[in-house]
Amino acid sequence: MADPMKIRASAKDGITEVKVLMSHEMETGQRKDSSGNLVPAHFITELSAEHNGKQVLAAQFGTAVSKNPYLAFKFKGGAKGDKLAVSWVDNKGDKRTDEVQIN
Amino acid sequence: MFRFSKPSLGGAIALALATLTANSALADGKYAGIGRSATRAEIHAWDIDVRPDFKGLRPGSGSVDQGQEVWEAKCASCHGSFGESNEVHTPLIGGTTKDDIKTGHVLSLVKGDAPQRSAIMKVATVSTLFDYINRAMPLTAPKSLSNDEVYALVAYLLNLAEIVPGDFVLTDKNIAEAQARMPNRNGMNTDHGMWPGATAAKGGIGNGGKPDVKNTACMSNCKTEVKVASLLPVYAETAHGNLAEQNRPVGPVRGKDTSGKAATPVAPAPLSENATASKLASDSGCMACHGVASKIVGPGYNEVAAKYKGQADAETKLVAKVKAGGQGAWGAIPMPPQGQLKDADIRSLVKWIMSGAKAQ
Repeated sequence: MADPMKIRASAKDGITEVKVLMSHEMETGQRKDSSGNLVPAHFITELSAEHNGKQVLAAQFGTAVSKNPYLAFKFKGGAKGDKLAVSWVDNKGDKRTDEVQIN
Repeated sequence: MFRFSKPSLGGAIALALATLTANSALADGKYAGIGRSATRAEIHAWDIDVRPDFKGLRPGSGSVDQGQEVWEAKCASCHGSFGESNEVHTPLIGGTTKDDIKTGHVLSLVKGDAPQRSAIMKVATVSTLFDYINRAMPLTAPKSLSNDEVYALVAYLLNLAEIVPGDFVLTDKNIAEAQARMPNRNGMNTDHGMWPGATAAKGGIGNGGKPDVKNTACMSNCKTEVKVASLLPVYAETAHGNLAEQNRPVGPVRGKDTSGKAATPVAPAPLSENATASKLASDSGCMACHGVASKIVGPGYNEVAAKYKGQADAETKLVAKVKAGGQGAWGAIPMPPQGQLKDADIRSLVKWIMSGAKAQ
């Protein structure tokens, strides 16, 4: 299991701003280690954000995204105390979901 | 980061007070009525440094949650919500692992696999975080944060770096526990010449200021210096005709004459005796005061020659005068002594003057 994401979600005037810092290696599969062998690819492929169970963002990630990706987005709706969950799946089938309360 | 320095803060204040005493002593003398002694409160307000042993730390406390509020309001616009931003400044947080917190050495500094060195990867002492934020942040309004706000911000940063849990409340009592978990706490090396004062063996910090470089100047059996030059091989010199004719007329670079019939430079004709003396006179500065045929400050050479004409010892006398300087023979303006000139030069100058100071 990967390390938890850091998520901040704040609602203001009916718009919720979400910032997510994921903790992931995001290996491209192109890099070689010190002995010259390819480092196997390991990266997030799909990401989804749900507001009270309803999906507000779906994204496909690839190898062009940096290590420990940072993602910020806004969506309409959301109020203080609502639940916001972000989850990702990587190419090895590893999953992670983290949930915060909007403030 | 005065990590291991010995003098205490009490010592610093005592020193400041001693300076005050000295000031009041001065007030009686040279600087009477200028300035006044600093009050204890003023010194207390100025004296904000926090040392690695937490001397100078004002009591207070702040939680991670309070820190997050202050952070979002005053810090996040530049540093990012998670201290991750690389836009305005380099990242504050990132690149440290749980193992680093255990060992006190940041492994990614050695492996070099972090995309960028973050502040938390490098900083060895939590007091540095506190002192720097307290002293300099926010950049637009330094020292505007309250003591507790600084505690809260440090707690928030430590939480972002996963050094302390989310419910942590940082106080002056438990800040040493945070220090014991700093990822790079064992990463600071003092064995180099950048620390002033005595060596570590003699109770100081560094190595006594010995430079790290080991370079020594070569004094004997040195390698001959390599001179880098740019030239064409002989067979290729004429590939484009006479290079001297290929130049544009301006600029410092002149092509070599490769026509094969370069004239050998003509040695300049040796100067005549008169011309040599004339040149010597102007080079030695004589001409600034003496004209050849007129008085400037001192007498003209024609006047001198006229005055001493026919005297057998004129030459010796004049040589002595030029050498030692003189006053009175031509008025009140003295001639400075010209001891810097060689005797032979003075003699030839005098001969030249007596013979009429001809240019050629």
